[in-house]
Amino acid sequence: MKAMILAAGKGTRVRPLTSVMPKPMIPLVRKPVMESIIEHLAQHGFDQIFINTSYLSSAIENYFRDGERLGVQIAYSYEGHLENGQFIDRPLGSAGGMRKIQDFCGFFDSTFAVLCGDALIDVDLGAVIEFHRSRGAVATIVTKTVPLEEVGKYGVVVADEDGRVKSFQEKPKAEQALSTDANTGIYIFEPSVFEHIPSGQEYDIGGQLFPSLIQKGVPVYSVAQPFQWVDIGSVADFWHATRLALGGQVRGYRLPGVEISPGVRVGLGIRADWSKIQVSGPVYIGSGTAIGDGAVIEGPTVIGPNCVIEAGAQVRASILGDYTRVASVASLNENIVFAGKLIDPHGEVVDIEDADIGWLLDDARKDLIDDPTHDLLREAMQRDRSAQ
Amino acid sequence: MELIEVSRDRDTAIIKPQLKRIDASVALAFKEAVLEVVASGEKAVVLDLEMVQFMDSSGLGAIVSVLKALGTRGTLAVCNVKGAVLSLFKLTRMDKVFVIADTPSDAIEKLS
Repeated sequence: MKAMILAAGKGTRVRPLTSVMPKPMIPLVRKPVMESIIEHLAQHGFDQIFINTSYLSSAIENYFRDGERLGVQIAYSYEGHLENGQFIDRPLGSAGGMRKIQDFCGFFDSTFAVLCGDALIDVDLGAVIEFHRSRGAVATIVTKTVPLEEVGKYGVVVADEDGRVKSFQEKPKAEQALSTDANTGIYIFEPSVFEHIPSGQEYDIGGQLFPSLIQKGVPVYSVAQPFQWVDIGSVADFWHATRLALGGQVRGYRLPGVEISPGVRVGLGIRADWSKIQVSGPVYIGSGTAIGDGAVIEGPTVIGPNCVIEAGAQVRASILGDYTRVASVASLNENIVFAGKLIDPHGEVVDIEDADIGWLLDDARKDLIDDPTHDLLREAMQRDRSAQ
Repeated sequence: MELIEVSRDRDTAIIKPQLKRIDASVALAFKEAVLEVVASGEKAVVLDLEMVQFMDSSGLGAIVSVLKALGTRGTLAVCNVKGAVLSLFKLTRMDKVFVIADTPSDAIEKLS
């Protein structure tokens, strides 16, 4: 069966993570969210997948290539053009992106699925397709029932008892919400839907296509499925999802590495004397990382590959990107270190270079900055310990 | 312009740096100005960082030196710490070494 993954967005709400990678490539314990989506599609018999790309397209195309590694076939539809060696992105919107693929090669020739590339799902797509066919729908929206107090975060679908969609509400207030069924960005379509999508222009599924279908009386249905939907819509979502994945609470999610003690998983080629390191899970430590004696690592924590955690450094409930150096006098607590930024998952972003804290936190490939303040700080900490 | 402004609240000296940045260019002078106040026998010192938006390692070093000069006879609290400076304090565990408070009056309360 055929599917399309929507991967052309800029991921503005997930900055600064998306300053260096497109949203579908954001890793949950090292694995891009979209890889889990493709694995899920493959399991449900969707083995021909078109991905539309735009923002940082190469990151996606170079990672998934032709899909063989994941047991599927993948093609890409880049929305934009190359000018003087620069990509000029021109995203067409979700429906516009579908139409471009159809105009290109008539790819969608039977019932097909369209999904967002930025949410982990374990929905039973077979059951959804069965529902879609039983209703004779041209389009089916997979919804998830959310608590009334959260409807303001979602697009809400209003349907009758049979599932036929009557109307939509975009981020309604709880007291005005006509439904608690949130649109999850998972759709099933018949190829006839293309009669309703204009060619060569920006067009959105949620904002334009569905309202137009409903107005024309085209059968659009929704089906509320109980499934796990882990959306990465913000930095806080990324933080929360990583913790779920680490804790084994994302169904079907295989954690990488080898478990060396309960809750402590590691990659290959780590330099560490575990008898001299205080570590408590759930923790994943990537390959090629070095950890000095006396370091403290407390879960839930992900340390990327090729990091350097110097002797005595502390890393608690944090996510460190590849090649992060944590100086011996530094202590991370509920932080994300990513793309040269120190990120509080619920607020502030500090640029490591602008704040001049490279002597505490830096790229591990740079030479160590041996700042005289290190000794002063160590002494202060000692004094503090002896005072206690 | 003076580097610091000193006021008192009962037994506590409140030192307010008149600087946006405490970096290598002013750290030494800043340290000496504060140490001069401390050397006069202060026991409780509050450092009000309301104006400070940036501090590098030499600035942090200056504060640690003040702490060292206070030794066991006195205590130090810091207040009005924001943004990158707060990150710096947390990252270096200084929030465990001296008291961090919201306002000068909170700081005085926490010191006593």
